[in-house]
Amino acid sequence: MNSRQSPRSLLLRSGVALCILLVAACAGNGEGLDANGRPLVPGGSPPPPLSADLQAIQENIFTPICSVCHAGGTAPEGLRLDAANSYNLLVGVPSTEVPSLLRVKPGDPDNSYIIQKLEGHAAVGAQMPFGCPNTQPCLTTSTIAFIRQWITNGAPPAAAAAAALTAPLAVASVVPDSTEPVSGPPPQVMVAFNHELDMSQLATHSMHFEKFAAGATPTVSEQVAARITVSSANPRALMIWPARPLSAGHYRLVVDATSSSRFSDIAGQTVALGTPDERGQAVISTFDVEVLP
Amino acid sequence: MNLRTFRNQRLMLAALMLAIVALLRAAPAAAEPYLAVLEGYKCNVCHVNPTGGGLRNEFGLTYAKVLLPAETLDNALDSWTGKLTDRLRVGGDLRADWTRVTAPNTSSQQAFALEQFRVYADLTLIPDRLGIYVDEQIAPNGSQNEEAYVRYGNTTDGFYVKGGQFYLPFGWRLQDQTAFVREVTGISMTTPDKGVEVGYEHAAWSAQFDVTNGAANANTGSGYQVTTQVAYTKPIWRVGIAGSSTQSNAGDRRMGGLFAGLKTGPVAWLAEGDIVHDDGLGRTLAAGLLEGDWRLLKGHNLKLTAEYSDPDRSVRNNQQTRYSFVYEYTPLPFLQLRAGYRHNFGIPQNDQQHQQLVLFELHGYF
Repeated sequence: MNSRQSPRSLLLRSGVALCILLVAACAGNGEGLDANGRPLVPGGSPPPPLSADLQAIQENIFTPICSVCHAGGTAPEGLRLDAANSYNLLVGVPSTEVPSLLRVKPGDPDNSYIIQKLEGHAAVGAQMPFGCPNTQPCLTTSTIAFIRQWITNGAPPAAAAAAALTAPLAVASVVPDSTEPVSGPPPQVMVAFNHELDMSQLATHSMHFEKFAAGATPTVSEQVAARITVSSANPRALMIWPARPLSAGHYRLVVDATSSSRFSDIAGQTVALGTPDERGQAVISTFDVEVLP
Repeated sequence: MNLRTFRNQRLMLAALMLAIVALLRAAPAAAEPYLAVLEGYKCNVCHVNPTGGGLRNEFGLTYAKVLLPAETLDNALDSWTGKLTDRLRVGGDLRADWTRVTAPNTSSQQAFALEQFRVYADLTLIPDRLGIYVDEQIAPNGSQNEEAYVRYGNTTDGFYVKGGQFYLPFGWRLQDQTAFVREVTGISMTTPDKGVEVGYEHAAWSAQFDVTNGAANANTGSGYQVTTQVAYTKPIWRVGIAGSSTQSNAGDRRMGGLFAGLKTGPVAWLAEGDIVHDDGLGRTLAAGLLEGDWRLLKGHNLKLTAEYSDPDRSVRNNQQTRYSFVYEYTPLPFLQLRAGYRHNFGIPQNDQQHQQLVLFELHGYF
């Protein structure tokens, strides 16, 4: 008997084995996991019951249902609904399908695109969650009512984030920064704060981008003017727009040394942005732009 | 000439036309890839789009009129050719259904729904070289463009280039857009992307290379998605490999997939396995599909699927599975009836991972 198998026979046997494994595959027994399939944290608390609070909505709807698709590097329409991103990408952010509508317009659920998508009467695209009602249940009217009420209440951040409002004014995040090189000209840099900002203290043209020339001694090769805006629907984030697209290179975003801008919240707290450089300018962010050919 | 003789002549004419078109085109398929596996066809044999789905070409429409349905009407060949002019071809799909979804400790939901009404158009500007293709979803809700691209080159034998908005090539282009393999990869016929595709079709080989924005980069311009796929098709089997890499501020994503098809008598087997790594979320996902389609009789197909999903491979005991049973009956050209049942299994503490679905669907196409 020939003990050697032909490659074709081996391939066929492997395929059959794979098929049997797939058919016989079992679902997980859920041991040591919470209802969302995440490992239980010792001493952790169970998800709060669904209410008109973002944290409850996050843990009962966004995380278990929406973030199955809306997360990571291929989140549809760039909308990531994991706990770390949902608020900043929902509240006051124009939808990509109908840019004239905000995904969440605080105080106005009827004109919030997320409600239209969940209720199935959006002008564009399929009802969410995707596949409903064909392959999974749509959210019930009573479930959507909690999201409506959250929006009616002004779409406040989650309770944990709200607690941060008692903390001193600080920068929560800067995108992009040195930890994530961007592979194309970023349309803007976003500086997010933990409090609502006082717009009256800001000068529109008090920042600029500096590009560095390659070489052992870093020297500024060019400056790109910038314009500062704040979304009226999300007044915790500064958007800094370069006057022209940034070409490939090493950049930093700095506050003009002569600027009279004050970065303060509506309670009057102020914060000094960035790290001072040798010319007295405050450096907010340093990042690399890698433009693909 | 009596009626039977006349009917036989029409059927012979239909078969002859099919054979001629097949010889001329030398390749077709559907967003039902089991048909391609059963017939040993590549996607571009039945579809204008070389990667499958959407508008059927002349051969695809003839196949749909003559070989797919249980009954071939005498006037089916004369009734609709898809051509409005020599240069303009149109088509469409309408799916309406009644579904009932149940899950433990949850009120069941049942409803009639218009799942989709899509129309397609292909305008040939220079024969076999230059064309414009559009796939527009008309309903439900408002109109939404799915695909719109310019195509240059030979999509049946040689290189071609597509530029505009189109579906990415990655694994089986299934009719069920919610299949685990489509959900985990995020690439399906509901997630078109904007960019450029370079493709190559020759004999048994099909290959595509795409550079697109990436879904997560919508309106941010913060990165690109690079996707490539190579498939080799023989009359009773095929195999393919796909890969994709996305750069975005949300974190990079890398994906790899293997897919294969095999014909054993009247049964077509489809298999796919995908693995996805999200740098930003620090997770690795995996999904698998096994589908068997048994053509019981002309116009009758029994579809059985087994699916597997692991939403995070670093977490134990969180896997999900799904099994489906669908009977597809195509009584007449342009009309298909589908009835199905699906059962999901997941972790015990999540009721929604134990949904059961009953489906009745009416599918009209042209």
